[in-house]
Amino acid sequence: MILAALLSLAIAAGPDPAALLGPPAGPPLTGEALRSHVYRTGKLLRCVVCQGLSVADSPSETAQAMRDEVEALAAQGYDTEQILFYFETSYGEFVRLEPKPEGWNLLVWALPLGFLAVGAGLVARGVRKGTPAAPAPAEDEDPYLRRVREETR
Amino acid sequence: MNWKYLIGGLAVVGPLVAVLAAGFGQDPRHFESPLVGKPAPDFALRTLDGEEVDLADLKGRKVVLNFWATWCVPCQQEHPVLLAGAARHPDTAFYGVVYQDEPGKIRAWLERHGSAYPTLVDEGSKVALAYGVYGVPETYLIDPSGVIRHKFVGPVDAATLNAQLEAM
Repeated sequence: MILAALLSLAIAAGPDPAALLGPPAGPPLTGEALRSHVYRTGKLLRCVVCQGLSVADSPSETAQAMRDEVEALAAQGYDTEQILFYFETSYGEFVRLEPKPEGWNLLVWALPLGFLAVGAGLVARGVRKGTPAAPAPAEDEDPYLRRVREETR
Repeated sequence: MNWKYLIGGLAVVGPLVAVLAAGFGQDPRHFESPLVGKPAPDFALRTLDGEEVDLADLKGRKVVLNFWATWCVPCQQEHPVLLAGAARHPDTAFYGVVYQDEPGKIRAWLERHGSAYPTLVDEGSKVALAYGVYGVPETYLIDPSGVIRHKFVGPVDAATLNAQLEAM
């Protein structure tokens, strides 16, 4: 039974990572180094059956399968970027939880900073100008209104 | 009314509304597979009966790869379409790839719903991940040169399946 399971696993070959990614960027990993590499990479990888969850955070069977795949690649020494690229070839850029900072994606990173700068500029200008002076009362203003205005100045 | 503020506000809100409006017209769960038009990822899997199937050996034939599972209700609905498709296109190699399931349940399901082509068992979902499967059912049409020509997300309908197979 166990032998049959092992045999069937041995044959369940997916695509060859070396053909897709070339040589691993780093040395093969084991133990704690491997675990933390799998976790860090899993954090950046979208669980494809979940709603906005990373592979590292999801308990689903698909996320488990993706973690196993990440671990197999990481153990061979593939770095985070190579592993993300490996999933990207089958799932597209969607599988990255953080869009790559290039092209139109740069807006995602730049716009919030831009808005912050514009907002800070407006606030600074407002502070420098001080509170706007009350409009000069018109000559024909109601005397009662004028008194209220003077007393509340 | 201060025109400066109005124009400034529109400059900020206008593009935002345009982006949201464009987004509303699309199904957020539908993504064009990056694999369409690319060579199908190679694999070797065993059928339920233990026979080895290597995608590379199927070059020269059209291939239909249907990812499914016994716990998937839409798969049950589309199954007759695939059975009829396999009967109508005897030159095309139809394969079911079972995803996150157990051989016992698969056998029982096939006995109940009928089977006309081999069923491959994808342990650890390795092949499903290589094909970018989000959920089941998903179906890939591979042309005789080994290039993915079409991906169906959700149950296939007979008309589209026949038209796509005949066009290939």
